[in-house]
Amino acid sequence: MALEKVNAVVIGAGAAGPIVAKELAVAGFRVVLLERGRWHSPWECRKDDLRNQRTNVLGNAFGPEDEGNPRVLVNQQGEARVLLPSEGGYNNNAACVGGGTLSYGAMAWRFHPDDFRTRSRYGMVADSTLDDWPITYDDLEPYYEKAEWEIGVSGDDSGNPFKGERRKPLPMPPVKPDSIEHQLLEKAARKLGLHPFHIPMLRNSVPYGGRPACMRCRWCVGFACEVDAKCGTQNTVLRTALATGNLELRTRAMTKEILLDPGGRARGVAYFDENDRLQEQPADVVVVCGGATESARLLLNSRSKAHPRGLGNNSDWVGRNLQGHLYTGAFGLMEQRTYDDLGPGASIAICDYVHGNPGLAGGAMLANEFIRLPVQFMNTRPPGVPRWGLAAKEFMKRNYTRAIAVQGPTQEIPVWDARCELDPEVKDRWGIPVLRMSGGRHAHTVEIGEYITYKAEAWLQAAGAIQTWRRGGGRGLSGGQHQAGTARMGHDPKTSAVDANGRVHESENVYVADASVHVTNGAFNPVLTIMAIAYRAGEHIARELKGKGI
Amino acid sequence: MKTVLAIAMAVALAGLLLAPATDYAYKAGGGEACARCHEIAPQVEAWMESSHREVRCEQCHHSGMLTNMRRVRDHWAGEVPAKPRMKHADVLAMTERCRSCHQQEYAQWRNGPHSVTFESLFLDKKHNSERILMDDCFRCHGMHFEGGIEDLVQPVNTEGPWELKRADLKNTPALPCLSCHSVHRTGQPLKGHVRKAGISWREEIARPSLALFDRRSLAPVALGDLPLPVVYEDERPVKMSPDQRQGLCYQCHAPLAGGQIKSGDDRTPMGVHEGLSCLACHDHHRGTTRTSCATCHPRLSNCGLDVETMDTTFANKESKHNIHWVKCADCHPKGVPPKRVSSSSPRLAP
Amino acid sequence: MKRRSFFLVASGALTGAGCGHRRSAPFRTLSESEAATLEAWCDALIPSTDGTPGAKEARTSRYIDIQLTRRFRKFRPQYQQALAAIEKMTGGRFTEISVEERTVLLEKIEKGEGDKALWGPDGGREVFNLILQHTLQGFYGNPRHGGNHDYVSWRMLGIPVVPVRGRGVAYGA
Repeated sequence: MALEKVNAVVIGAGAAGPIVAKELAVAGFRVVLLERGRWHSPWECRKDDLRNQRTNVLGNAFGPEDEGNPRVLVNQQGEARVLLPSEGGYNNNAACVGGGTLSYGAMAWRFHPDDFRTRSRYGMVADSTLDDWPITYDDLEPYYEKAEWEIGVSGDDSGNPFKGERRKPLPMPPVKPDSIEHQLLEKAARKLGLHPFHIPMLRNSVPYGGRPACMRCRWCVGFACEVDAKCGTQNTVLRTALATGNLELRTRAMTKEILLDPGGRARGVAYFDENDRLQEQPADVVVVCGGATESARLLLNSRSKAHPRGLGNNSDWVGRNLQGHLYTGAFGLMEQRTYDDLGPGASIAICDYVHGNPGLAGGAMLANEFIRLPVQFMNTRPPGVPRWGLAAKEFMKRNYTRAIAVQGPTQEIPVWDARCELDPEVKDRWGIPVLRMSGGRHAHTVEIGEYITYKAEAWLQAAGAIQTWRRGGGRGLSGGQHQAGTARMGHDPKTSAVDANGRVHESENVYVADASVHVTNGAFNPVLTIMAIAYRAGEHIARELKGKGI
Repeated sequence: MKTVLAIAMAVALAGLLLAPATDYAYKAGGGEACARCHEIAPQVEAWMESSHREVRCEQCHHSGMLTNMRRVRDHWAGEVPAKPRMKHADVLAMTERCRSCHQQEYAQWRNGPHSVTFESLFLDKKHNSERILMDDCFRCHGMHFEGGIEDLVQPVNTEGPWELKRADLKNTPALPCLSCHSVHRTGQPLKGHVRKAGISWREEIARPSLALFDRRSLAPVALGDLPLPVVYEDERPVKMSPDQRQGLCYQCHAPLAGGQIKSGDDRTPMGVHEGLSCLACHDHHRGTTRTSCATCHPRLSNCGLDVETMDTTFANKESKHNIHWVKCADCHPKGVPPKRVSSSSPRLAP
Repeated sequence: MKRRSFFLVASGALTGAGCGHRRSAPFRTLSESEAATLEAWCDALIPSTDGTPGAKEARTSRYIDIQLTRRFRKFRPQYQQALAAIEKMTGGRFTEISVEERTVLLEKIEKGEGDKALWGPDGGREVFNLILQHTLQGFYGNPRHGGNHDYVSWRMLGIPVVPVRGRGVAYGA
């Protein structure tokens, strides 16, 4: 039996969904937001260093649950293995209200203008699907600004010459840059002629949006904030949207498929409600915001006569080009103690190596890391130090409080064969086919990442490190929390899945408005770009609906 | 049919016998019987070394027949938590049990600010309209509450009107004994009369039971693990009393990250009272201090002012004489006049 | 007194048949001898011979034992096999030999050089890594899961068990 029709159904209450829902709800449209997870309070995790969203050896704190949510990973040797969400290789992102934004580290980067035109800048890279975006930095700039002010960003990038123009400064000053690590790295960067500045963060440095300032504890990335100082979608736009009365949020609602007319128009969606009953939600517009992997899965699971290989997939672009970031960098051991327990830890960055690296088609922003809890550091050591025994303990004892990590997200060269498709056999607990992921990174991505490790090491050496070691990356499949690219936006339906506004080429009323549409994923953490795209899509859809007299 | 009936009868009879037998097994033999269950052996071991070892398990832990049966079931089903702990209701009930021996401390706590109730803390209109409630409130207030802030108060915003979702907690103290004490701590049982706390940290021993209930790990953190911060006046580290007991105070009356004096909820003494322990003036259970001034300033303050009527309290933010931070120069901008106080006035230990 | 003893014995017989009087063996899944073997194993991974706490003081074997009742339940057969195998290699004396001797043995297992009949086709490599990671978690992780007893590792590293952290408006300043 079908439920009452609404103007829009939005799938996924992560970084993007609540923004689209809010834009539509505020414009007066009736919206249903479906989220497969539920609300979480910090009480449920309580800074559990073994069970959170970053270290999940005892499980994911904010979903998905291990039971009933398998995926299949095909490794480099071609062997397929069924994985649980808390296992490496699953490429998990939180499944809860707020999604990753409930527990993220919250770096709030705007992409560099050239991140939108990598192919024009670098030319075609062999064996890749490198391309320009159909939109530019300038198209997105107003929406970056909107995200920064509505959701809340602290920081100061005025010292960064390698960035696009911004019309308005950030709404909050940076968290006080008083950590020992920050001071050492700032001095060192200046000595090297680099341009250090304060990382923009979706984190209150002063009271903002009715919520207090960060109290600077050591448990940040991976955890929900007890002070509510981290600005996610769940404590900002979602509250605004719910207050309009036009939005209904349904949690524990797993979307099965988008229901399509023979012509390709969407009638609505079918989903399993919190009691596992199949429901049909009719809507004028369907907006998919499930994250790059799950959005692709939903499109592939939504078939009709006109879309035998899944919605938007007639040219085989859905699920392709899965990318995240190759994190590479270096560790340094200092003579003096650098641990001062002043969270969140990450505070200083340089963008000197984002573009223009000789002979390389890309680069990365480099920043110091969040505070590493002992369980996050216990497997970190320079070559030559054993993994266990007295020497291993001695290394931890001596160096845990004297180590600095600098690393950055290398912009990945998209690859056609890095993909997720539907597994022919394995299903989730609702009987919906799950993802089968395969492929890996482009060799040149690894080269760029390698180059970045030297830059990170040089920075640490200039900061006075008495010992350093570099950490590069491999060619394994990338995605993870920075997952993107599986429903690329473009003008040509033959080489993209959605248009520049996020509308699926093959359907007039289905949109994708999350990181799936990224053509490339920037040399930065992608969340602010995801938010900006969601604002832009939300505004566009509202205009469309109004234009149709709805 | 007869056989079925017979088996059923036998099972019922066994059940009837088993239940009281199980129950008795728990109650008899003090800790020995409780420790037979593997999961709580570490707790029982700790208790046997604690100052409360003469108190039997069931004198503090609920030990009704149904509860004991539930424990057996949890044990066999393997559903025992990694670290067994007391439920909120049991923690609250403990307060009355503590009272049966520690009557004076109970009375002082009851009359002091630390026995504040959930209602007066979480339904304070002035507070709630200025500062939004959050989960971190529970770090110091109602730390044993099992749930998030939305499970206690609705709505969570600055508009209100606010009400307790858990109306039963309305008149319940939010900081029961077990907020600052852990009963299972190593120590000697109290023998005879213990001298009343003096004004100096040297004169009072840090009781082994002192431990903060850490809501994050749902376990008490012993006094020795509670740090005394370095507090700064700009760049200058403020002189601090080494009294370890303050570690407990600083968990809640704490400066902001970076440790600047007067920041956050910090009340570290600076100026004329710099270096004094919190406990030099504050009775930990009672919390009130007015009369303690007279202990060091028998008649008048050093300046000849009547301390009983001065605007010295923390609540008065405009006060020039805030007892925590008043400096000689606040009243004597041109320099401190020669001391008039006789040399026989009592001196404070650091 | 006599009556109480009688009831104790009777009730013990009725209810505690599987429990026994074993206050000194607080393990949930491992047998007494398995627990001792595991403890000796963990002790070699994080020894305390330098005078600072190691796996024994942190009770990492208890962490593992507790997690074997829940999250690590699926690893039970691997643990049983590995603990039996290492005892077999030493003629049941693994807990008696010195840390140095245990280290030599475990280095072999780490490299996958264990007898394949005892350790399976990978010579013990996988189960070694499993036990190493679990031991590190039990040592450096939060005590709430049964390891890092009394915060021994955090104190050794020199980080405050709980930080002093205020928040909110500043007075007076």
